[in-house]
Amino acid sequence: MKPLKLKTGIIALTIGVLFAGCSDNDGPTPDPDESQESKYVLITMSDNVNTKPGYATAFDELPSGNVINNGNNSLQGLGFGGWRPYGNWLFKMFSTDANALGIERLEVNADGKVTPGQFIAGDNTTNGTGNFVIVDETKGYYWDGASPLKIQVFNPTTLSRTGDIDLAEAVNERGADEPEILYRAIGQKFLSVKNGKLFANITYATSDGTQKGFWDDFYPDVYIAVIDIATSKHEKTIKIKDTGAITYINDNNMYDFDTNGDLYIVTQGVHPRGTGGKSKIVRIKANETDIDSDWSLDMDAITGEGPRKFVSVFAKDGKIITLIPNASLTGGPTGNINFEDVWEYFSIDIASKERTKIGGVPVVTNPGAAFCAIEIDNKILLRVNTKDGSSNGYFEYNPSTNSATELFKVTSGGSVSGLHKVKVGN
Amino acid sequence: MRYKIYMLSVLFFLSKFILAQTTDVVTGYVHNEDGIPLGDATVQVGNYGTTALSNGYFSLKNIPTGKHILVVSAVGYTAFQDTIVKLAQENLALQIRLSKDDKVLQEVTVLGKSETQQAKEQTVRAVVVDTRAVSTQATTLTDLMNRSTGVRIRQNGGLGGRPEISINGFQGKAIKYFKDGIPLDYMGDGYNIASLPLEALERIEVYKGVLPVSLGADALGGAVNLVSAKRRGSHMHTFYEIGSFNTHRLGVTAAHETKDQKWSYGTELFFNHSDNDYNAFVGVRNPNTANLEYMDMRMFHNAFQHSYGEAYVNIQNRNWADELRLSVAAFALEREQQHPALMTDPYGAILGKQQTVAPSLRYKKKLLDGRLSIDQFASYNNLQTRRIDTLMGSYDWYGEFTPKTTPGESRLPSLSKIHERQTVLRTNIGYQINSSTSLGFNYIFTDVRRDGEDPYGQRLQDTDIDVLSLESTYQKQIYGLSLDKYWLDEKLHNQLMGKFYHYSASGIQNTWFSTGVTEADKRRLSGNYWGIAEALRYRLTPSAFIRGSLEYTYRLPEREELFGNNIFVVPNFELNPEKSFNASLGYQQVIGGRLTVEANGFYRRTKGLILLVPIQAPNAQYQNQENVKGFGFDLDLNYHFATHYTLSGNATWQNLRLFGITDETDRWKNNARLRNTPYFFANAGIQSNHSAILSQNDNLKVFVHYNFLREFYLETIRKDLEPGGFLGLSGQANINSNLRIPNQHLLNAGFTYKLPSGDVNIGAEIRNMLNKNLYDYYRVQRPGRSFHLKLSYTLAKGG
Repeated sequence: MKPLKLKTGIIALTIGVLFAGCSDNDGPTPDPDESQESKYVLITMSDNVNTKPGYATAFDELPSGNVINNGNNSLQGLGFGGWRPYGNWLFKMFSTDANALGIERLEVNADGKVTPGQFIAGDNTTNGTGNFVIVDETKGYYWDGASPLKIQVFNPTTLSRTGDIDLAEAVNERGADEPEILYRAIGQKFLSVKNGKLFANITYATSDGTQKGFWDDFYPDVYIAVIDIATSKHEKTIKIKDTGAITYINDNNMYDFDTNGDLYIVTQGVHPRGTGGKSKIVRIKANETDIDSDWSLDMDAITGEGPRKFVSVFAKDGKIITLIPNASLTGGPTGNINFEDVWEYFSIDIASKERTKIGGVPVVTNPGAAFCAIEIDNKILLRVNTKDGSSNGYFEYNPSTNSATELFKVTSGGSVSGLHKVKVGN
Repeated sequence: MRYKIYMLSVLFFLSKFILAQTTDVVTGYVHNEDGIPLGDATVQVGNYGTTALSNGYFSLKNIPTGKHILVVSAVGYTAFQDTIVKLAQENLALQIRLSKDDKVLQEVTVLGKSETQQAKEQTVRAVVVDTRAVSTQATTLTDLMNRSTGVRIRQNGGLGGRPEISINGFQGKAIKYFKDGIPLDYMGDGYNIASLPLEALERIEVYKGVLPVSLGADALGGAVNLVSAKRRGSHMHTFYEIGSFNTHRLGVTAAHETKDQKWSYGTELFFNHSDNDYNAFVGVRNPNTANLEYMDMRMFHNAFQHSYGEAYVNIQNRNWADELRLSVAAFALEREQQHPALMTDPYGAILGKQQTVAPSLRYKKKLLDGRLSIDQFASYNNLQTRRIDTLMGSYDWYGEFTPKTTPGESRLPSLSKIHERQTVLRTNIGYQINSSTSLGFNYIFTDVRRDGEDPYGQRLQDTDIDVLSLESTYQKQIYGLSLDKYWLDEKLHNQLMGKFYHYSASGIQNTWFSTGVTEADKRRLSGNYWGIAEALRYRLTPSAFIRGSLEYTYRLPEREELFGNNIFVVPNFELNPEKSFNASLGYQQVIGGRLTVEANGFYRRTKGLILLVPIQAPNAQYQNQENVKGFGFDLDLNYHFATHYTLSGNATWQNLRLFGITDETDRWKNNARLRNTPYFFANAGIQSNHSAILSQNDNLKVFVHYNFLREFYLETIRKDLEPGGFLGLSGQANINSNLRIPNQHLLNAGFTYKLPSGDVNIGAEIRNMLNKNLYDYYRVQRPGRSFHLKLSYTLAKGG
């Protein structure tokens, strides 16, 4: 992610102030007179299990060389597969205490101590609970499986729920009488904000069990409701054609804004085990509210036989950085989709769709809940983790040469899952 | 004529044929110098007399505590007379050898040792929990075992919560459970230490490391043998316990043996119920802000109810059988589920149920003048397990219901019914080659066929075939052979054991994956493995011995590890057996008759440890995890002082660490402690024993027990961040983490009072007196302070 891009109307300076001296859950105490310093917070996941145990450490400088991420100042907890930063805030969709679904903010103080902060809890049995997007420092939206046909409203500063929007009518515009649709939801997997509009996917699922809403889509098209933020009214529903499923939601929201404000969205494809097929990256242009029917990246057109898919996207200056699997994907405990070195970094020119393999980077594992690429201090950093751990850190990408060099390697603490720069009060 | 009398030197298999197990019994064997049993020998203890059976065995019941004159006579042998001392709460087991040549009576001090004491002194080390000695206490088996050296029971929740025993850092399925030497898997959750009352058992033997070959198992870390209380004579006993959280436990045991000891029959009926509605400190979601507010909330859907019954008929002391036991055991239990693996969400309707009827047959016979013993067991049962989660809604911690459109409070809506049809055969043969050498053979055959149904469960992809309806099979065969040899006037005892394991299984791998299961998910696997063990004991003096063992063994994946439990544990057919090298060394001495000291150390090196790992909330799966090596020590002291008081204490420290990790990402874990495993725990207790308090014949025992559990860590932490000080026992780990389970202190106290009539006992106990927050199993909270009162009444008793 690129926190300083201001793509969603973020005012970074304001957000920086919000963090000053916040040491409790009642909200930050602005102290603009005090100077501020930056911390670079790194997270790692120490075990590849679903509770995602791991560590977060605040560094004074952008890490380099060999890095230990589980020292005595590191926060140890669960739900450390990744995070979804906003400005200078660090949010996770999983609680540090119990890996419960929801929204948690990590706090970083001037001493570099990272602690779990306020937590918004929701239905802990339905994946997608805690999927959120932030409009500004006082308003954000999230989805709670307890009320699948509503989108919850929250205040990111106090990190508390403030209300909800009932969108049952928008959901029921189609498929209301389809007996095969067992589960409906809005905003479960995709929430994005652009130009005063909230975009929320609509789930029409054929199962109502353990993983309802994931790879069990009734329609081949993905439907996205467009809601006016000012009025909280549903305006229309757009669709991404013939792709099956939109993102598998976790901290990696699987969409990104280009420098010009164009929104690029990953779709996961049709395979019932989430291994792809018809996976795409599609676009909503900066000043549009419809899917750009003239542009998409189709994974099936890129790769050979067997299911494959996109899992992350980074857009900047007319280029996309993403991962493309070099083998057909297989799931389950022994599959290659998550922990085998099958994912290759590519730079793709958005206009020409010409793709170029990024040099200097090994073939990596699936970033999962982590973002494949981030931007810090005007540097584009690639998350690099190989199965044998010979590479495990961030590489700095050089757009001019389309290659990357190792910036740092985590030698203790687990597989790298995220890096973000925050400002803290003195 | 010279008579030589001495104690049984703990030939393990012999103890299995000692029938009398009440605490007022004197049993034994009478042999001549060549080891030939002296049938029809007359044995007289005080006013009580009997005649030895053809195998030389005799049994005398109702022997009061105190000194008695022992007289043994047989045709062709001169009568012997000596004084024996019968201690309270202990049976005497004697071995008497007579010689025609000697004309002189030898004055010998006879030291009686109970079977419990004998078990403690086996060459293969066992920690023995004497349940009978404390059966009138209002306490639980799990609490009793937690007071034992090197043993840690981690129980999820209150009464009926699933117990997991940890021995030398081994836990889970590495520990096997037996009842009277028979593997207990076939009884599901219906017969375990969480639900059995003290009255059901004579004692519990906890084997640490090497198992005797008679316990035919592929356990790595040890085994728990629940030795049931065998009822002799005519006997009826009943008890009732009432406790906090609406806890009620009651039971009746009754038995009758005919005068000619040819027939006996009896029954045991036990009932347990607890609402387990104790307070727990949980995060409660504010309905407006959705933030969690942490507070004490009462568990409202946490009840446990269990009924167990067994009826048996013994045909015994026949030419063709020493014992033929026909038994039918049955149980039914129901367990409410308050929350998932972590206490993150309140459930208000999820139920688990289990039941079975298990007929069994056991045959015992000694042949060739007692040199050859045969013990055969067979059983067949259908264990039925149900999980019910169909609620169209959810509950909050206040018990308020909110409807929703999809079924199930958890991630796994279910109305499952699982059948596990199980056959268990066990053959144990012992052969006494000569007076110092014996052979033992043991064979266990287990066959399980599982299928079931669940209208909410998974279907094969593109079909309507219920995955549970497909049969899963599991078959295990374990052959064991042991050679026992005594040297140096029986000071040195050696046991050499070999085991061969074979297993095969078939089933479906991905039953938990909601998006469909295909033919490709079917799995079939099998394997053959060898293990070897060696155990030595050397008796330095009559009151001191040293013992040690070495073992290389495999532990096969268990069926629950492969199949899952259809609740939270999901299948994994990719599992490999664990393999381990284990060594132990121990020393025990009785000093001055008052102080007993026991010190033991162990070393283990285990590869592919199978651990339960959370994989996709709320699911967990057994997986081959880290390699573990390390060592540990435990120390046990017992001191009798000032006539009425006994002071006891033990401490266990273990240093089990990961090794062999080559992956660069995880290399930092090398030498880190095994996660979620306590490394230090200790117990201290004092008990007083007073007679003639209010009346001449009453008795009062008062006890206080303290248990300490050192902090441990749910997830791996670096070694250099561990607490410092001696053995890492001071301060806290230098980490910023909520995954630390803090130091825990448990204080229990109580008393038992025996009324002058001798038939009625009153027991009372306060558990967790300090009302501390106690945790087990991923920070699942255990009950706070609770009060328990127990009344026991022996209705009839006779020979």
